[in-house]
Amino acid sequence: MQQTSIGRSTRRVDAIAKASGHTQYIADYTFDGMIYAKMVRSTVPRGKILDISIPVLPSGYSFISAKDIPEGGKNQLHMIKTDYTCFADGEVRFIGETIGLVVGPDRGVLQDLVDQVKVTYEEGEYAVTIEDGLACKGGAFVGEDNCFCDFTINKGDVDEIFAGSDRVFEEEINTGWQEHVHLETNGAIAMPEGDKFVIHVSAQCPFYVRKSIASLINRPYEDIIVRQSVTGGAFGGKEHFPDVLAGPLLVAAYVTGKPVQLIFDRHEDSAYSVKRHPSRTRFRTAVDKDGNITAMDVDVVYNAGGYESCSYVVLQRGVFHATGVYNIPNSRVRGRAVATNTFPSDAFRGFGAPQTLFAVETHLAHIATQLGIDPFELKKRHFLKKGDVTVTNGHIYETVVLPEMAQQVLDESGYLEKAKTYAPGSLRGVGISFYNHGGAFTGNGEQMIIKARVRLRKNSDDTVDILIGSTEMGQGFQTALTKIVADELGIGLERVRYPQPDTSVVSDSGPTVASRSTMIVGAIAQRSAARLREQWVEGKELVVEEEYTHPEGFPWDQSTFQGDAYIGYGWGACVIEVEVDPLTTEVNTKGIWSSHDVGLAIDELIVHGQINGGIAQSLGYAAMEKLDFSAKTGFKQTGLSDYIIPTSMDFPSQVCTLVDNPYEFGPHGAKGMGELVFNGASAAYIDAVSRAIGKEIRSIPVPPEILMEMM
Amino acid sequence: MVETSYIPQTLEEALRIRKETGAKPLAGGTDLMVMHRRGTGVVPSFPWPVMIISSLEELKYIRREGDDIVIGSGTTCHAIEDDPSVPYAVRTAASLMGAESLRNLATIGGNVCNASPKADLPVPLIMMDAKVTLVSATGSRTLLLDEFITGPKETDLKDDELLLEVRIPLPEKDYSHVWYRKIGTRKANAISKLSLSAAVTLDADGFIKDFRSANGASGPKVARSTEVEKILEGKNVTEIPSVLEQFLDAYDAILSPHAMPTYRRLSTRRMLAHFLTEVASGTQNMIVT
Repeated sequence: MQQTSIGRSTRRVDAIAKASGHTQYIADYTFDGMIYAKMVRSTVPRGKILDISIPVLPSGYSFISAKDIPEGGKNQLHMIKTDYTCFADGEVRFIGETIGLVVGPDRGVLQDLVDQVKVTYEEGEYAVTIEDGLACKGGAFVGEDNCFCDFTINKGDVDEIFAGSDRVFEEEINTGWQEHVHLETNGAIAMPEGDKFVIHVSAQCPFYVRKSIASLINRPYEDIIVRQSVTGGAFGGKEHFPDVLAGPLLVAAYVTGKPVQLIFDRHEDSAYSVKRHPSRTRFRTAVDKDGNITAMDVDVVYNAGGYESCSYVVLQRGVFHATGVYNIPNSRVRGRAVATNTFPSDAFRGFGAPQTLFAVETHLAHIATQLGIDPFELKKRHFLKKGDVTVTNGHIYETVVLPEMAQQVLDESGYLEKAKTYAPGSLRGVGISFYNHGGAFTGNGEQMIIKARVRLRKNSDDTVDILIGSTEMGQGFQTALTKIVADELGIGLERVRYPQPDTSVVSDSGPTVASRSTMIVGAIAQRSAARLREQWVEGKELVVEEEYTHPEGFPWDQSTFQGDAYIGYGWGACVIEVEVDPLTTEVNTKGIWSSHDVGLAIDELIVHGQINGGIAQSLGYAAMEKLDFSAKTGFKQTGLSDYIIPTSMDFPSQVCTLVDNPYEFGPHGAKGMGELVFNGASAAYIDAVSRAIGKEIRSIPVPPEILMEMM
Repeated sequence: MVETSYIPQTLEEALRIRKETGAKPLAGGTDLMVMHRRGTGVVPSFPWPVMIISSLEELKYIRREGDDIVIGSGTTCHAIEDDPSVPYAVRTAASLMGAESLRNLATIGGNVCNASPKADLPVPLIMMDAKVTLVSATGSRTLLLDEFITGPKETDLKDDELLLEVRIPLPEKDYSHVWYRKIGTRKANAISKLSLSAAVTLDADGFIKDFRSANGASGPKVARSTEVEKILEGKNVTEIPSVLEQFLDAYDAILSPHAMPTYRRLSTRRMLAHFLTEVASGTQNMIVT
């Protein structure tokens, strides 16, 4: 019997198939009669489509566009809202917007045909930056002010404090786009099956896909069966974006009656896919004569690109994390998501929190330096603790162990000594950051919107199948959940199967997003397994199904954003040490020390993998992952030779510590951690680099050429 | 779209095909296959006939001929990186190209003939006055690599010629001090953002008998000026501080970076100043870092 012990490291249930190359990904699928698709995309950032000229198509080839949507169908993708068009019709809002698909049997021929499609535009003036969008450059195309959303939350009375404050610090912090670079590019196949349609897709959220695309052909959700293919990485880039492939493919399968496959190559996946929202965060911070922060007035703007997608929800998370892990007595945070003529911004690990957490950490470090104290001193004075009132006037329910975590990273890194020894501008520096991440859906989303259900089926051979829509995408959830269920049932891992979700078979356990799967779905699965154990009769087939239940005592008003935005948080502390090369300003990262509170690790190896990857991704975000707009190609960097992500050579091995702080409502005390581990390293790195060069850095990323110009 | 491709088995056959068809050589393919890719599941398509020369064993060698190290054009970067007889700067440049898998395929011939301003190998090769030998069905010629590369992505290769080998003349007396540094977009598997190769030969009394330096990724082709090098030649190391600024200004004038000018100029200046200051300080290290 393979060991199931919770906590300790287990060989992943998918390890052998993946490591040996046996796993079939979407690009490996073939079906009888399958044809291929290539996208025809807009080549201008904003314009009216005057004409689409199609070359003479050989037999067996067709051009699929808005005109092919059947009567009663709607040319829209239903993400959070329905503003995202499936096929651009009449106007385009950004370079890379889908205009149509050319489909047919030979991909070489398809590429030639796509090259011959000529779209004529009446081009319009376009907006790229947050400032362009807010200024409605070229005229607003969303509402009257180009804002998809605009809201403000208040705690205490900010204006009164500012009126009588001793010192006020004002600062603006900016962050750039980031590309997900999931190892497997996006891909999907749509095909008829009986009187229904099947979508095979590399995706995080199979139920999202069917909801998004069913109205294109005017069918109920149940007529669209989504089967998740083994997914080689996602990071949020396969939360809503698979709809952009699956929608047009569904129409193509509807029209042709054939299986239609679309796989992006790396260039397409980089140039024409969603990105992390660029951000601009402005602070006004009041500090009293003792150096305590008494009020913060924060203005957050995210660049949402051409369609809203999930920007409103991303922005909410950004706003709710804008004062970081600190108890600021009075705060006001305004959030806006602005429309621009760039590829839509969307979900990306951290989901809006990394931008504001980077901003507040960086801002506090600068305030501390100006007050003449170490950033750690200023930060620890304001650490949130159990019972404190949050930015949304909710409360911190759990014991916050930040002081212990801080001590761990201080001891391991020698931070205090180094911070004193390395003079500003000495080309050596240490930096420190603290961060958290609200687990699961914001507010009452879990109980009002998601209503997750978990189904377990015991077969007559006494094996158990986990039948849910939650997905493995490389993060290790298949292993974590199998362990939870096997452990509760007291059986070996090999007797529990967790097949790839099929929406016609499994229950909807909600999307695999928001660091919610282990914390929320894991808890329901544990409860389901406990019930199955009670009913267990050898040799008998049994099915149990359990629903999410919301813990008492977490009020939330979604109309005013007041109350408990989250029912529990993961917490993190990070210290980074750097040396800047005096000749080339290249940054050598000398040490990375982190401590995380994830409640309890269901599997330590998986958690360590997440920490290592999350921190490296966060450091790439700060140091090198630069994306610039190009009026020719959408983004100037369109592949992995010019969009630079870190390799294992760029950062040293990490010292990772976990603290034990079991979470009351999670399975075995586990809570969310997949995004937490991205949220803080960027700020610690920039703090360290800032000290090393003796200059305040207010914008990321900062490759060496930017550092040199600053010095 | 041209579907014709040839796979010659001998150099003689390759030269005949080259003369008769003008087919362009493809060695490791690490540039050409990417440049002419057509997406997932579709083979690359070239606008001209292609001759795949990666199987020509005759072009894969590294050997000493008199005072020269001669490297066959089909030699991979990995083989160059691994051979201790290859001069330090060339070996190091080869070792820092792309990823391991790329270095197993990419050849010196391809890197030279692709003539990218960001190419790694031409920088130390041009610094060392390397020559190229070009062969055709009717003859051969040898010229300086610096003259063979005529501009960004442009060479003097004639339609019937193939690059046979690169010939590196070894200095009469070993360099006293050598510098090579590549600044990539990251620490590994990176395209060059800037590279600098430099070397100095001192006599027993500390006089500079020879100085040379070359820059990559800071202009349309590798930047080198023997005129500027003469500023230092004949000077004693003790005089380096007094001529340093004049030299650095003159060297700066041969650079013409089209992007990141401040970064490329200032980093070059600092690296050269550092190298020469180390030399002036009497360092015993041949390889200066």
